[in-house]
This record gives sequence, C-alpha cells and structure tokens, in this order.
Amino acid sequence: MTVNDSSSKKVSRRTVLKAAATAGALQLVPPFIIKARGEEPVRLGLDNPLTGTYAALGKNELYGCKLALEQINAKGGILGRKAELLVEDSTSGDAGTTVQKARKLIDRDHVNFLIGNINSALALAMAAVAYEKGVFMIDPGGHTDAVTGTSCHWNVFRICNPTQTEANAVAGTLIRDFGKKWYYITPDYAFGHTLEAGMIKAAAKLGGTRVGGALTPLGTTDFSSYLIAAQAAKPDVIIFLVQGDDQVNALKQAVQFGLQKRFHLAGAQGELEPQEGLPPEARIGTWVFEWYWKQPGVPHVAEFVAAIKKMSGRVPTARTWFGYAATWTCALAANGAKSLEAVKMAKFLQGYHLPPEVALMPNGAFFRAGQNQLIGDLYVGHAQAHGSAPDDLFKVTDVVKGIDISGTLEDTGCKMTWPA
Amino acid sequence: MGQINNKLAANAIVWLLLLTAPFWMHWVGGYTELGSRVLVMALAAMALNFLLGFTGVLSFGHAAYFGLGAYGAAMTIKYLVPSTPLAILVGVLVGTAAAAIIGTLIVKLRGVYFAMVTIAFGQVFYFITFRWNTVTGGDDGLTNWTRVPIDLGFTKLDILHNPELFYYFILFFFALSVALMTILLRSPFGRTLLAIRENERRARFLGIPVERHIWLSFTISCFFVSIAGALYALLNNFVDPRALYWGLSGNFVIMAVLGGMRSFWGPLVGAVIFVVLQDYVSSMTQNWESFIGLLFVLIVLFFPRGVLGIVRRKVAS
Repeated sequence: MTVNDSSSKKVSRRTVLKAAATAGALQLVPPFIIKARGEEPVRLGLDNPLTGTYAALGKNELYGCKLALEQINAKGGILGRKAELLVEDSTSGDAGTTVQKARKLIDRDHVNFLIGNINSALALAMAAVAYEKGVFMIDPGGHTDAVTGTSCHWNVFRICNPTQTEANAVAGTLIRDFGKKWYYITPDYAFGHTLEAGMIKAAAKLGGTRVGGALTPLGTTDFSSYLIAAQAAKPDVIIFLVQGDDQVNALKQAVQFGLQKRFHLAGAQGELEPQEGLPPEARIGTWVFEWYWKQPGVPHVAEFVAAIKKMSGRVPTARTWFGYAATWTCALAANGAKSLEAVKMAKFLQGYHLPPEVALMPNGAFFRAGQNQLIGDLYVGHAQAHGSAPDDLFKVTDVVKGIDISGTLEDTGCKMTWPA
Repeated sequence: MGQINNKLAANAIVWLLLLTAPFWMHWVGGYTELGSRVLVMALAAMALNFLLGFTGVLSFGHAAYFGLGAYGAAMTIKYLVPSTPLAILVGVLVGTAAAAIIGTLIVKLRGVYFAMVTIAFGQVFYFITFRWNTVTGGDDGLTNWTRVPIDLGFTKLDILHNPELFYYFILFFFALSVALMTILLRSPFGRTLLAIRENERRARFLGIPVERHIWLSFTISCFFVSIAGALYALLNNFVDPRALYWGLSGNFVIMAVLGGMRSFWGPLVGAVIFVVLQDYVSSMTQNWESFIGLLFVLIVLFFPRGVLGIVRRKVAS
C-alpha cells in the first residue's frame, strides 16, 4: 500500500507539472483557419512596425486604420461584406520578417489588401512581394521616391508624399523669406542622401546654393562638431534632415548654442511625434507637415479629430491620417470597381479623387494616373513652443498644392506595365 | 544496436517530416513559405554549429557571410545574368572567399576574443553594404529583381510562382549540404575537429595543425552559411544590409544552442522553435522577443544541451 501511495503521489505531481506545461503551450497553438462559413469577411492585412524606432509612428497609423475600419463597417462594409483588419508587426528594420509577414497575410490569411510600411526599405520589399503575387497594396507612410518612382508597380499605391515633393514644398518658402545659402545636416544613409539631393535640386531651381553640409551617422547624440562647422560656413539657413531622436538631439543642441538667433533653422519632413519629444524652447524652425489636425474651415476635419481623440486620447498626427486614408482607399477602390480583383481596383483608382470626408484637406487629394501616388496639400509652417492647445505645436503659414510641386510624370521615373 | 536503430528512426522521421511539410503545414496554421524560411534558417544554424558544436569555436559574425551570399546571389541576377543556379554559385563563392581571407587573420584567437573579432569583421561588411548606395542600394536594399525559373531542357521549373516547388528546391540544397556535413564529420578530418573541441592542447601535442583545422572548419562553416544566405535572398526576392547585421549572427547562435549544439539535428529543432515561435507569437503580442529570450534563458540554465539534449536523455533512460 505504502509503495503504491508514494508512486501515485509522484505521478500526480508530474501530472500537474505536465498539465501546466501543456496549458502554457496551448496558448501558442495557432487557431485553425475556418474556411468560408457563410459570408467570408473582406480582409485587410496591415504589415507595419509596432516595435523599434518607428513604433510610435506605427501605432498612430494603426489608430487611423482602426477608425476607418469602424466607419467602413458602419456604412455597409466592402461590397456588402464585413471588413476585417489583420495586424502584423513588421519590426522597424528587418526586411526578412516583413516579407515573411506579407507572405503569411497573402498565402495563409488570403488578404484582399496589403497595407504598409513606414520604413521605406520595408515598403519597397513589401511592394516586391505584392507585385509578385498581384495583390493590391497601399503604402501609407514610406516616403522614399522609388515606391511611386523608379520602382513603381501597377498594384502599389501610396498615401504619403515622395521626399522630392516635400523638398519642393519647403524650398520656395525658405528662399523667399530667409535666404539662398543653405547648410545641410544630413543623416548618413539612403533616405538622408535622397532627401538632401532633392533639397539641392529644389533649391537650385530657385537660385539657392549649398554652402556646405555634414553627414551624421544614424544614432548620433553629440552634434556639436557639426554645428560648429555649420556656423563657420555662414549660411542663411541650416537645414536639418535628421529624423526621430537624432532630430531631437540636434535641435536641442542648436538651441543651446544659440544658433537660432543667428541663422534660420529649418527641415524638410516635420512630424508631430518628434515635436512632442522636444523641450518647448527647441520647438523652432520651418518644416513641412503632410497633414495637420488644426485646419479651421476644412469640412469633416473636426469630426475626425474628435473620433481619434476619443479612441486614443491624443490628437491625430499625419501618421494617423495616413492609416485612415489608406484603409478607406481600399474600401473605396473595391466598392467603386465593384470587384475585389486587384487589376480592376487599380484601374478604378487612376485619377480618382478621394471624397472630402477622407481627404480632409482644403484642396482635396487624388491618385495621379500612371504613378499611383496620392497628391494632396502640404502644410509649410513653423514649430511653436506653445499653441492654442497643448498638442498645437505647429503653425501653418502656407498650404502648398501638391500638384504644383510634384513635377511631371516623366520626372518621377515611373514606368508601369499592366498585366495583360 | 538499439542506439543505431534509434538514430536511424530519428533520421527517417526528420526527412519524412521535411519531405511532406507542404502537405500538412496548413493544418497546423502554417504556410509553405514559413517552411522554406525554417529550412534556410536551419541550414544557417547547422552551418554555424559545424564550427560551434563540432569544433568548439564560437563565431558571432556568421551573418556577414550569410549576407555576402545573399548579396552575391541578388547582384548576380540584378546586374549580370538572370540565372538562379549561377546566382547561388556566385553568392557561395563570394561568401566562402571572404571567409577564407578573414579566417587566416583570426585563427590564432580563442574564446571571447575570436567571437569579438568575428563581430568586428562582420560589421565591416555590414557598413560597406549600408553605405555603398549606388551598388548595394544602401539602407533601401536591393529591389527590382526576382529569382528566375530554371530551364532544365526537358522541363521548366517555375520556382518563382510555385511556392511548393521552391520549398523542394531549398530542401534539395538543404539535403545536399546536410549530406556533405555528415560525410565531413564522419571523416578523419571531422574526428580531428572533435579532438580539438575536447582538448586543444592535447591535439596540438599529437601533432595536429590546430590553426589550419580551425581555419578549414571556419571556411567550411561559412561555405554552408553562404548557401543559406543565397537561398534567403532568393526566398525574399529582396536583400538589405540587415542580412549582414550581427544581430542575425546572434539569432543563429540562439537557434543552435536552443536546439542543442552537441546534436547534429539540434540547430534544425532550434530553428523550427525560433522561426515558428516568432511567426505565431509576434502576431499576438509585440513583445515576442521576450518569449524567445525567456525560453533561451530557461534552456541554458536547466538544459545546457538544448531541446534535443532533453529528448536524448529521456530516450537513454
């Protein structure tokens, strides 16, 4: 008896342990995919950063996507079917993972639309997958020119602007108001190089010159040597092309040096997220925003801001709008083309004007035919320490019409071949 | 006798599972390209394990040769000739040649010094690809090229549009590499590597040229890892500098240790766990890396011989 007792005790402890381990492991077991039970929902796959450098931007785009999805379903869904958003973390820089997630969304989950990516390199990698598979894709926030330029595809659309357009938007204001001699602080990788080349090109058209520049490695914390070199070059304007944390550090130090009193400080791509990370005295300089939440008199903007505030507790940024417009574009394309076939939807969107409640811009926005690039307004202005509201950190001075500064279709280098 | 039977049975099960993977993967929520990725990562981890597990030398820079293989293949297709076999050949040659040269410079180092210098040389290649925008595409990566269907004369293998076929294409190279590794490890050369792993000083007293053997082992290991790299580029139809980043080298080491670096199939098991866990858990939570990290810590603390080590102990008892 005693022997039996002890052995049964031993087994029961093991059983408990095993059961616990099994229960733990079961959490990781993937759900079985249920095929076509009644009406299958239309699936949108978001493959965008949720971790790493671009996590904050990615979360804002996700809020925009979620709001759009709610509205789409409230208005009858896509082709009468419910729309569903599948979210995958692409990481901020690992192309292998991003591509794998894109394939997973297409091959396993059979998404009808692919959305992403903030990182330009990852956007290009995803576009290659989408093109190979012939799936409709929309890039909400990856800026590199190639996406709708030299690497454009018939099935890949983009919401945010190419870097060249941003450069063109700010160049006019800077030369008109502050002078023609520019010094560049440029991040030393592909994005920075193309943005600087774009700025130089835009400035040259208006008589601006480059008096010098510094290439700063990604993740630089001490900008003092670059700022000293910038002072020595005696420019009219110092252009900061660095982004994210680098931008925060560079601007903080420029203010500590008192550079803003002697030169004008400016940049091309400005975003609300880094401005929020700056101390008030470093919120200075001229920037381009691609969308701004404070647009008095533009219809539907107030409702959009209120809805996002209710959802996230913050005002929407340009990123939130990118996600929102991208998701809505999917629904509009399918409903407009009355089909989920990528070719029909892509054809439908050629030259298509977004309705005002999605465009949320004074002059509206449309997809340029033959390039698949959304062309709307850009907002040039300056950062401000304190505005009318805690989140009002940018003062818009000029609204620039995108079509005036987007160049011709030939300039973009986009040559599309449609499937036969 | 029983041990040999067990080994045969284990091998048979592994190959059966790999050969039939495309047919059952979707039943457990997988998809063919996940299987292809597992194979590529497993090959890379097994290649690393040739050096780590069977020679006893830890490299933290294998991603560099993985990435060189990837860039070699990608740039061949993009700039030279649209031919998949040639792309693999060039990728492997580039990766192996770089490893052979770097190898001569570092074979005298041991332990943590060897690991650190491999990281340093790896990062050199990483920064070259990161900064040489005009050739490598820099941070944007190399796009606008795809793997090319293979014309065998009597039939055409459309590995571009048929994911199952491409899985078997990768499996073919995987099997070839595994067979080669087995032959090498069973040869007197392989036994010598084990001797160096177990007691380097003694091996030296026996008159074995230790440096030359470590150099050979490093180069062979990088030869296999560059095959994996070339296949990785073809799998993604894309390559960017992250393929050379030292973080990826770290992942290879994690896979090898997770599965069991003393066992031949250990890194395969590790790669399956790593890639599949990443795939599933990262869809549910952003903090998937903590799960991998936790698992890694638990394995290293309690089962230093890895997952296969546990299984083997159970079978033996």
